[in-house]
Amino acid sequence: MEKLFEQLAYCIEFGKINKQSPYPPNMKDQEGAGELTGQLLDQGVSADDILQKALIVGMERVGVKFRENKVFVPQVLMSAKAMDAAMIQLKPHFANNPGSQKGTFIIGTVEGDLHDIGKNLVSMMVEGNGYEVIDLGTNVKAEVFIEAAEKNPKAVIGLSALLTTTMNNMEKITIAIKKHNKNTTVCVGGAPVNQEFCERIGADNYSPDPQGTVEFLNRTVA
Amino acid sequence: MDNLKTKHFTFQLKDLEISVELIEELARIDDSMPEYSRFLKEEIDSTLSLSQIEGGYTILPAQLDQNTIHIGDHCFNVGKSIANKFTNSTHIAIFTCTTGPLISDRLKELNSQGLILEAYLIDLLGSVMVEKAMDKLQAIIEAECTSKGVNITNRYSPGYMNWDVKEQKDLFAFLPENFCGIKLNESCLMTPVKSVSGFIGIGEKVRFIKHACQSCNSTNCLYRNSKNHC
Repeated sequence: MEKLFEQLAYCIEFGKINKQSPYPPNMKDQEGAGELTGQLLDQGVSADDILQKALIVGMERVGVKFRENKVFVPQVLMSAKAMDAAMIQLKPHFANNPGSQKGTFIIGTVEGDLHDIGKNLVSMMVEGNGYEVIDLGTNVKAEVFIEAAEKNPKAVIGLSALLTTTMNNMEKITIAIKKHNKNTTVCVGGAPVNQEFCERIGADNYSPDPQGTVEFLNRTVA
Repeated sequence: MDNLKTKHFTFQLKDLEISVELIEELARIDDSMPEYSRFLKEEIDSTLSLSQIEGGYTILPAQLDQNTIHIGDHCFNVGKSIANKFTNSTHIAIFTCTTGPLISDRLKELNSQGLILEAYLIDLLGSVMVEKAMDKLQAIIEAECTSKGVNITNRYSPGYMNWDVKEQKDLFAFLPENFCGIKLNESCLMTPVKSVSGFIGIGEKVRFIKHACQSCNSTNCLYRNSKNHC
């Protein structure tokens, strides 16, 4: 069983979706994340064990390699595709047992900003590490974040911005969220954001890369 | 400022000479990755070929001091580093350029289909399209200036170095409303998203200085993140 977990983690790490997928070339014609997840389920392994012992392991390795500039966005997206092939099979099991995921993460690009690549990468990495992700999209107003947090009281909120001008909106939204419920945890990220800005606006965490957000969630939520 | 003299141009995607190899290189797609060149070629040759790529400019007298450029009643605080690059400019070409809305529509379509890697490549293609179109527009400005015996600087945009992106509002005040179909929102984000605006210095004694990554503080520039950045 351990060997199968490791094979599946490897497929996630290197973005091997299924047997038909030609990527990566050194795994051509080998079974991918889709087939291996099916085999583990057939053998009676729980969806939670597959998630924890294989998928998260693989996704964490990708996150670390991305942080270290050993892989780039396309490789991370291939891993996300492999992850999707596995999660499609696991999601019906999680639906029957909603407590099996680590927690909920609400993410969105702040009002006034339409950029979404950074947000999407964080969203994929967080989901791939075992959290339910509620993606509110781009150009999201404070009240939409607050409404989502009300529906998911223990959720952590992630705010993304690419422009220096929308950092102002990030500050307004963080203040509004905290005013509504001071216990709501707010993470911030994006090219112009830094630790100093995070502290100044009263957010709880700044991460320069997706894996940093995952590590913060693992420390504080999981 | 509809009475300003502006020049307007349209460009065809095929004339921008964008190679699939360039997009793959900027995306850091290496030989081990799946085949995306056919997808990109199809997008360039067919799906996005009708993109409404357009740009334009107006040329106005300007005065410079240490950190600022004065045009009409407006004072642009571009910062010392950019102001230095405009040294000896007597005029400024205020420009804008866009790929048009087709790229954004295609991005929405691909993302909604879960084609995330394809969407990433199209986003990158859009960034390259607007820069290549801007190269063409800059060449037009240069030709006009050369014919009058003056030279141009390189182009610089709000958001670059210490030039606050908020000044884009003042910049657009010098262009007709909805010029090239570009709108600014409250955050100074241009729509269509793949659009640029900025200044080119003009004068007899100006110098053209090539961009160098080491003198720029942008961490999310597609060229800096490419394998062969300067």
